[in-house]
Amino acid sequence: MNPVTVLRKFFDRHGLFVGGYLLAAVTFWMLMMIILPQLTMLDFSFRDNLPPSKVGGPEDVYTMANYTFLVFGSPGNPEPFNVVDLSVFGRTILAAVFVTVFDFMICYPIAYFLAQVARGGVARLVVLSLVVPFWVNELLRAFAFKILFGASGVINTFIVTIGLVDQPVDFIKADIALYAGLGYAYILLMIFPIYNAIESLDKNQIEAARDLGSPWWRIHWRIVMPFAKPGITSGCTMVFMLSAGALAAPQILGGPSSLWFTQLIYQWFNTGGNWPRGSAYAIVLLASCIIFVLLMMRLFKVKLGEIGR
Amino acid sequence: MKSSTFLSIFIGLYLIIFFGYLFGPLILMSMTAFNSSEFPRVSPWECFTLEWFDVLARDDALITGLTNSLIIAGGVVVLSVLIGLAGALILTQVWPRLRPWYYTIVISPILVPGVVLGISTLIFWDRLGTMFDARYDSVFYDGIFLTIIGQSTFISAYCMLVFISRLQRFDPALEEAALDLGATHTQTFRKILLPFLYPAIGSAAVLAFLASFENYNTTVFTVIDQSTLTTVLASKVRYGINPSISSLAVIIVAITLVGAIAHEALRRREQLKIERGEITDSSSAAANKMQGWLSGNPAMILLMLVFVAGLGTVWFGSQYSPNQCKVDVRLQKELLQQRQGPDIFSPQGGEQTQPQAPAIPDGSGSGASDTNPGRGTFGDVFDPGNLEEGEGAAPSGEGSSGGGSGDDGAAVQSPGASTFGDVFNPGNLEESAGTGSQE
Repeated sequence: MNPVTVLRKFFDRHGLFVGGYLLAAVTFWMLMMIILPQLTMLDFSFRDNLPPSKVGGPEDVYTMANYTFLVFGSPGNPEPFNVVDLSVFGRTILAAVFVTVFDFMICYPIAYFLAQVARGGVARLVVLSLVVPFWVNELLRAFAFKILFGASGVINTFIVTIGLVDQPVDFIKADIALYAGLGYAYILLMIFPIYNAIESLDKNQIEAARDLGSPWWRIHWRIVMPFAKPGITSGCTMVFMLSAGALAAPQILGGPSSLWFTQLIYQWFNTGGNWPRGSAYAIVLLASCIIFVLLMMRLFKVKLGEIGR
Repeated sequence: MKSSTFLSIFIGLYLIIFFGYLFGPLILMSMTAFNSSEFPRVSPWECFTLEWFDVLARDDALITGLTNSLIIAGGVVVLSVLIGLAGALILTQVWPRLRPWYYTIVISPILVPGVVLGISTLIFWDRLGTMFDARYDSVFYDGIFLTIIGQSTFISAYCMLVFISRLQRFDPALEEAALDLGATHTQTFRKILLPFLYPAIGSAAVLAFLASFENYNTTVFTVIDQSTLTTVLASKVRYGINPSISSLAVIIVAITLVGAIAHEALRRREQLKIERGEITDSSSAAANKMQGWLSGNPAMILLMLVFVAGLGTVWFGSQYSPNQCKVDVRLQKELLQQRQGPDIFSPQGGEQTQPQAPAIPDGSGSGASDTNPGRGTFGDVFDPGNLEEGEGAAPSGEGSSGGGSGDDGAAVQSPGASTFGDVFNPGNLEESAGTGSQE
């Protein structure tokens, strides 16, 4: 089929007006908003940080400098690697994995309860109460955790009053506030995919397993979880991506000494004033997220369509 | 039987903890909006106040940000719904072998971190601007335009998913019938497909609005020198904060709550209508209908409760003035500061205070007849206005310290106070009183 006949059939089917709108909208979306910006960013990350007057001039050549900077640091760096940035990167990924696991552990029981146990009004009430906090602004949620965990926050006041500790605990510095806040922010994105998956599970399967004498943990391990695998993968992927790419919560809840990788990117763009290097870092973040998704898909044998809800 | 009770107790407990985690922070944050403390906190509760809402309303940066956010959200709703609809309609018509690729590309913005989307949009339009030699006040460098584009990149994908799920229930035979009967393509689209999609358009628009309104990660890069509600909020939360942010949170939480409950109530009503088909249609008595509607609709009741509570709060706020309470608290704080005063300034003064100290507060805390002499002494030094407030604040200040020595204290009290009067000048006396209430 050659493109012209395809196009003609398309316009035959939709008429000129609607067909034109559909084609224009989708083309604009795919080219101008998704593909070209990403390619431009990729291209940009391989360039030096030049003033606008020199862009396109003889000095505007491709270079790996921004990526080598992330790995080895500036040329005068005494360490063999760029320890600061690399450790921030590693810590971000690890923390995102931790947040994902934490969210999975607290959300799985709720999702199961919602899908298999709760009925009617209770189920609707639970869903409603899950949705409401989710629509409260991300920054305000982080702010709430700052109030909760701050040096003069509620938890510190409480544990000092009951005499558990003498001095207020610095939850912010210990990153506990950050993990709690991040985990909190993405609860809904973990619950709903799992809920959708478990809901379609036939109750008879669970009862059959129970009748045959299987303990509750084995029912979950051998029946519910394998059945809900696409949902679990989807939820975990979403939570991982969002927490690795989170900016607001680390900015507000992160300790003064511990940075999130997105904060490095932010710094290169704002205070650092080095956009190409910021793009290189962003590409690294994007690449690691893609690798993570592919890994999850390979590991749990699900398709992208299932992850995209 | 036993194990099932155990299980249900366990489930209940888990639900309580889980929802405590979910709502606790929000409730505490909302409470700080009503505390008169300069710093958002709950634990030393000072006074109930609504002044932070005033502070919020007078915050120009926030208002500008809010206006921009609304403009952006409006733009995003229009753009995303248009694009999402087109994306969903095209999906079924892409050449089957290309379909997975198409789907992967258009769904990818959901999975790409928002930071990356913002950066790529910023760089792309910057490059385009350079290419066309655009000036810095042109559209290529306009924060609001870029933010609309950047946010729509992924919000369109959300909208597309909403449309896809609706379109799956569409019967293409309807379209064919319209075409057979002589309708043009545009007419078919407008008269058949669009009406079928109206509910989906509605929910996609709401989704787009909310997603745009609360977005931060993408916005912070694309907004350049402008500001939105979220960027203003972010800078406020990170640097110098006061509880006016909490009062904003209260407003947002309330709106969300009302919106969610209203949505639930409406859905419930639809459901009821379907369930009892003719009953709802034929019920002529409005009251009867109302009653049945309410009884079967906990969400509606909840909504009304929230509404009444909101009205009550507003009424209470208009009646109540926290000023008296705030004066008390300020005085209490001054006392608190002065407690440490003598220890730091003069060790000598501290020693002198020591023996007399317990007398003063205990006196004022215990029986009124005992304290009379004490009061008289103070009365010579303080002016009457201060006295009242001082009396009010002192007992609560030392509430936890043992007040056993009431009689002894009262006896020693007046000589003690007069001694102070000799040693210190009147200004310092205040300090010593403060020290007293500490011990």
